[in-house]
Amino acid sequence: MSLKNDIIDSVRRHAQAECDMPEISLEAVKYADPVSEFVEISRFVGGDAIILKDGENINTLIRTLYPEAVTVASNMPEISISTCNPDAADDPHNLNGIDLAIVKGEIGVAENGCVWIPQNVKLKALYFIAENLVIILDRNRIVNNMHEAYEYIAGTGYGFGVFISGPSKTADIEQALVIGAHGAKSVTVILS
Amino acid sequence: MSTKHAAAARQFILNREQEQWHNETLWMVRQKRDNMAMRIAEWEELRELAGKIKMHTISRLDHYLELFSSEAERNGATVHWAKDANEHNEIVYSILKEHRVKKLVKSKSMLTEECLLNPYLIEQGIEVVESDLGERILQLMGENPSHIVMPAIHRKREEVGKLFEEKMDSEKGNSDPTYLTRIARKYLRNEFLTADAAMTGANFGVAQTGEVVVCTNEGNADMGTSLCRLHIVSMGMEKLVPDLKSLGVFTRLLARSATGQPSTTYTSHYRRPGEGCEMHIVIVDNGRSEIRGNSEHVQTLKCIRCGACMNTCPVYRRSGGYSYTYFIPGPIGINLGMLKCPGKYSDNVSACSLCYSCNNVCPAKINLAEQIYGWRQGLDSIGKADRMKKLMSKGMKFLFSHPALYRNALKMSPAINLLPRFLVYSKLNAWGYGREMPRFAGESFTSMWIKGKVKKTNRK
Repeated sequence: MSLKNDIIDSVRRHAQAECDMPEISLEAVKYADPVSEFVEISRFVGGDAIILKDGENINTLIRTLYPEAVTVASNMPEISISTCNPDAADDPHNLNGIDLAIVKGEIGVAENGCVWIPQNVKLKALYFIAENLVIILDRNRIVNNMHEAYEYIAGTGYGFGVFISGPSKTADIEQALVIGAHGAKSVTVILS
Repeated sequence: MSTKHAAAARQFILNREQEQWHNETLWMVRQKRDNMAMRIAEWEELRELAGKIKMHTISRLDHYLELFSSEAERNGATVHWAKDANEHNEIVYSILKEHRVKKLVKSKSMLTEECLLNPYLIEQGIEVVESDLGERILQLMGENPSHIVMPAIHRKREEVGKLFEEKMDSEKGNSDPTYLTRIARKYLRNEFLTADAAMTGANFGVAQTGEVVVCTNEGNADMGTSLCRLHIVSMGMEKLVPDLKSLGVFTRLLARSATGQPSTTYTSHYRRPGEGCEMHIVIVDNGRSEIRGNSEHVQTLKCIRCGACMNTCPVYRRSGGYSYTYFIPGPIGINLGMLKCPGKYSDNVSACSLCYSCNNVCPAKINLAEQIYGWRQGLDSIGKADRMKKLMSKGMKFLFSHPALYRNALKMSPAINLLPRFLVYSKLNAWGYGREMPRFAGESFTSMWIKGKVKKTNRK
């Protein structure tokens, strides 16, 4: 087997004139109203984003959105409709069959509907294995673009983190878009 | 006379309907890409930055490899180094063997295709399950991808329906894409739940933080890696970017260029293995370090495998991925094939009209077309120039360097218009094959000029 040094030596042997690192200081896209842009693009990518109204109960709202969900998993204290605490499971396989997972997002990105979720549940499988996913996001934490998102992320520590933009999807059969490939069949971002 | 590409393309276009569908569908993806690009005022600036960041990283690759590997190890991952495909495969197998893995669930990785990992592992007795829907369809059909992002683009829904009837017990005659995807979801969910290890490729490796970034729409990479305790990442050494700030440039470009989406559904950042889990990263050279020293072709290392050059290529769209002899088709594949083995893959360099559209859509601004032109210029030196075209070129060189002869030939040339087709389009005229020859004008410009028939007009 090759050693690290063999490979790195081979890289050095095949020299290439040094090119400077460019300065990344571009005027990236900004929106007059990032929240409404985020809502619009979330729908464009097959998901949804709903602004929680003043005084509206978040549990009632989720229930209205997902009336048929039987197994509801969340470790968030403000979610009273959860039927199980996903953090009580030791084995991610036991999370199979969850109808709805409700999780917290950290940063929303207006340009592409991404929500950054640094792992904030015990088993990261929850984000992908649930049939439906609700992400709760503070509407004041929507940034314009990915540059701004990474600027925030770079200052944080995480073992695993994921940007999620809408539901799982595929177009592998004749380029026909189908929502719900392996992950969540629906994703709703609730902007609190 | 004709290259393997031309011969295979001839077969592809026999099915006119399929050819047209393939062409129009890929063009639609190209248009979706344009729509996305045009929504962003700084798009061209982003491409410029991406190209420069990649060139910088490649030029200091030794430094970034050191940085990435030490950070990844600090995060708790195990880093392996493979100089070629064989070593890559042996490393992967030894990790699987050590963990007594029977079933491996994979997400899409062109690098494992490059290394021919699947047949190797299957031979060792490992059950290998591709989990990307397109890849799974092809695995069940025993085929290879015909496009790097849309692997099963050459297959029709009816063929998939029939396959699923056989392999997944789906309803007879039902070829609705939503129905078939649901069937695959159920079937593959079971594979995820019973797999012992997960394998992914890497879209990006972030040197400063030692993390690996994987982008999917289906969520298959994440299903595998979050259910299995063992995650093996296969990563080409050119996948590195310096830091998260530079990563932002690429995550903005990738999905927009590839499929015309503002982002992939999932952009997963794997930094540390979960509790009780292991993460192994296999860094693969397999010819890449050598390309680094090749100043004419070093730019191919900037490729982020988005497939935009294929979608826009008029030759790819109308000849299909299987017409190319290298496993990566289209403009980038023509170049990578030649870098792998010019003697073996030179048939592909003719699959280019030099329209330069690929150069204009490549998010990393690789000079794809110039490189293809360069390979063509070098064909004679590797003994791969077309003999007939060489002869014709020699003839023309002689003609053009003998003015009297040239003028005579010019006078005679309109007579060719009167020749019967079988003579003009004979085997002696390579340019008459598959295309109409232009008609010669009745009188040459020179002759018209001498006779004063050419009037000067003042440009306004």
